[in-house]
Amino acid sequence: MDSKLTVGIADMKLLQGSGILITYALGSCIGLCFHDPRLHLGALLHVMLPLNMEAGRKNPLKYADTGIRETLRQMEAKGASRSRITVKIAGGAKMFEIADKNSSLGNIGQRNIDSVHTILRKENIKLLAEEVGGTVARTLLFDVASGQGCIRSYGHKDIIF
Amino acid sequence: MTIKSYDELTSLEIDTLREIGSIGTGNAATALSQILKREIRITQPEVRIMGYNEAIEWIGGPEHVTAGVLVKMGGQLNGIMLSVQQLEFVNLVLSSMLGCEIDSYENLGELERSALVEIGNIMISTFINALSGLAGVDVQLTVPAFAVDMQGAILAVPMAEYGGMSDYLMTIGGNFVFEGKQVPCHLLLSPDLRSLNFLLAKLGVSNG
Repeated sequence: MDSKLTVGIADMKLLQGSGILITYALGSCIGLCFHDPRLHLGALLHVMLPLNMEAGRKNPLKYADTGIRETLRQMEAKGASRSRITVKIAGGAKMFEIADKNSSLGNIGQRNIDSVHTILRKENIKLLAEEVGGTVARTLLFDVASGQGCIRSYGHKDIIF
Repeated sequence: MTIKSYDELTSLEIDTLREIGSIGTGNAATALSQILKREIRITQPEVRIMGYNEAIEWIGGPEHVTAGVLVKMGGQLNGIMLSVQQLEFVNLVLSSMLGCEIDSYENLGELERSALVEIGNIMISTFINALSGLAGVDVQLTVPAFAVDMQGAILAVPMAEYGGMSDYLMTIGGNFVFEGKQVPCHLLLSPDLRSLNFLLAKLGVSNG
């Protein structure tokens, strides 16, 4: 197996041909594996928040909406076709149970999941599989040759999806 | 002038926050020392303003599993306070309080978990009490929440909460020294930007 290319928080990386992309410890954040099987082109995106409402928009990869669009743009620049691109997602967990009604804290994971669903639908991208919600952090590995994802969690068996 | 991002803090403001951190963690260490009946000091506290990925490297890597106690602040100051307890610290607490140690977080039972929550809660409350007394601000705290998981995901909680405002995470906190031995136990205060400005103004160091 090739060495792994790490994707940080609010980050995205593309690989073509073969290789493994990895992003660590997704809590409420969401990791998205984009795949164009014909080109063996894969991208892994790690977004933190549902919607970009920043004035300057310095960091599009931090948000689901601008992050997904930027990833699609870069994939299309490499010849990927929107009709072939599929996505698998993981994350959106609730790490802490906070007893505070006014807080959005526990909710960010679910809001991220909803936002990703909405944007993918709007962009006509097929969502192949998802491992979302719950209360457990996930490390996500993505094999760009096969399009297979693997999730590592503390105290749980690995999930291949 | 109010700041719009954590990286705009002046050195005078950072010094003031470090002083707050020093008094806060000092009080927390005293409280901890009394409960555990052991000699506990603190290291010089740090104020750090870090990018997300830098913060995760700083705490020791994303996948390392730790226990986290989280309290949300409300009232005149909004923010999150986190006690990130690595295994060495956990065992010091458990051996002093319950006379047992664990070799993995998987062996944490109900009793051990509640001991850790309580310790985290006491340290956080003493820290905040010292801060609110010093600055003359009213702060309310939620009931503590507890999680054992990858520390990258635990640290991402304050990042996500304030991520819409800043690309940086600000933490004020320190480590504990148990009977001469340094044990990492990060006590992290992450106020939101509005609260940080308010706090600095209350302490008389904001330039406006």
